[in-house]
Amino acid sequence: MRPALADRLSRALVGCYPPRWKQRYAAELLDVLDQHRAGPRTVLSLAGGVLSTHLDPSYRMEIRAMPRLGRDTLGYLTIFAVIMAGLAAVTVGPAIARNIRESSWHASTDGSVGTVAFSRDLRLMVSTAGNTPWAATSTLWDVTDRARPRRLSVFEGGSTITISPDGRTVATSAFSGQPALWNVTRPRHPARLAVLPARFPSGALWGEAFSPDGGILAVSSMSGLVLWNVADPSRPRLLRTLAAPLQPRGPAPVPFGVGNGDLVFSRDGHMLASVSGSGQATLWNVTHPAHATRIATMAGPRDYFTALAFSPRGNLLAGVTYHGSVLVFRLAGPARPVRAALRPRILASARFPGGGGAVPASSCAPSCGVAAAAAAAFTPDGQALTVVVDRPETFPSTAARDTVFTWQVASSGALSDLTTIFHDVSDAQPTLAPGDRIVADGSPIGGQVHLWALP
Amino acid sequence: MHGKFDDLGRFADPSVLILTSLSDGPKHGYAIMTDITAFSGVGMEPGTLYGALSRLERRGWIRPLAAGERRRPYEITAAGQEVLAEQLRSMQQIVRTGRQRTAMA
Repeated sequence: MRPALADRLSRALVGCYPPRWKQRYAAELLDVLDQHRAGPRTVLSLAGGVLSTHLDPSYRMEIRAMPRLGRDTLGYLTIFAVIMAGLAAVTVGPAIARNIRESSWHASTDGSVGTVAFSRDLRLMVSTAGNTPWAATSTLWDVTDRARPRRLSVFEGGSTITISPDGRTVATSAFSGQPALWNVTRPRHPARLAVLPARFPSGALWGEAFSPDGGILAVSSMSGLVLWNVADPSRPRLLRTLAAPLQPRGPAPVPFGVGNGDLVFSRDGHMLASVSGSGQATLWNVTHPAHATRIATMAGPRDYFTALAFSPRGNLLAGVTYHGSVLVFRLAGPARPVRAALRPRILASARFPGGGGAVPASSCAPSCGVAAAAAAAFTPDGQALTVVVDRPETFPSTAARDTVFTWQVASSGALSDLTTIFHDVSDAQPTLAPGDRIVADGSPIGGQVHLWALP
Repeated sequence: MHGKFDDLGRFADPSVLILTSLSDGPKHGYAIMTDITAFSGVGMEPGTLYGALSRLERRGWIRPLAAGERRRPYEITAAGQEVLAEQLRSMQQIVRTGRQRTAMA
């Protein structure tokens, strides 16, 4: 067995341990695997570890879930499952080897990558490049094999970008900073369908998002929010223009270079959350988009939001602020969101290491604990919240480190059982791909895109 | 060799090695593996190591210390030192007996 395959199988097996065991030991075990030369014995020891842990009464939670099944039956079922997993690993090993862990490639010739977005099926990825909005380009990638991404096409426009849920339309910004729609059904030959007129006199685009059914495109800027009917993307129709709320007691203006707040729809498409104005999160009712209304505006603790995420049921909204605080709002009564959890400045309390590419505590003040870029997502079952923050070293170094925080989330929005994973990357803007297990980093300095899989 | 280690099954031997490794101070996972290889010649694999660590921790024979980055050091507890001493005494008895008998042969 080749060491690379043994290493990948070993890491895949770490994911087979019971959830509670993984929560406690997976990060340590992966750290050991980082330093250990894996071989067949490593794979066998981990397979044995997975089996014995599942048979361990302390972790065998299935007993409570299936009281009628006897201990022996469960044991045999577990053994059968591990054998089948082993056979599957042998037969599909090469496929795993192509798709697992991480890959990195130069995505831009001019040395910068901005936003990265994925189609829902994770087959298409689009990245933006260019140091100025008027000279930006977008690149479409086939990432079906994530170890060997294939460039499909390059087209004009960039800075903000998103792909429709059906993967047929890309929304980006045109050279003039206006939203533009592209038909990518023939991904090697994208065709521009429409350029949407700017609705606000000033301000660069902050974000674009398609509704879950793909019928609405929301476009946000510092000044406000615009909703377009894009059911027929070649003939977009204006639905609603909403001015950003002004908050007299809001935080300070968003610093230069941070002005790309997040914009997300709830899964049922009835609510939209945007970063607008001076960095607050605003919740909009878009059940009837032509009559969309503001529900509420929420401020961070003297801070501005950079990433937002709805829980799958739409009852919680999580936000990450520029200074790395994580907030969860309960939306049971949407008109009056209640703050259910606050984790202030998570990077500052993350025991960020002093070596290995990290910023020494003595040299990073006062920026220690600042999350220059962040992404957030709930797991599909809504029981965990993943937040990725990236803190670069001080200029001119391009080193940085993704720090992934995962909390268990109660239905009330309370957070518990924090686990933390560190991953070295070049200075980058992290994005969580649909399904929240792939982190994509676009480097604004090195021109690289880096994909890596969460354990 | 009967004692408190019997319940650990296939993790009994690794547990003795781990407790011995931690006897001279706290170590994290990979440091334990390299230390065990250095003093015993046994190449312990990560699956075996963490299977034993989780059991030892649950028994209160080792305790985790504050994690730095992804590395969490472990230290042996008083209870762990006690069971290790008991196990080593038992092994010493076996070694003594074995030596006597092989010398007589």
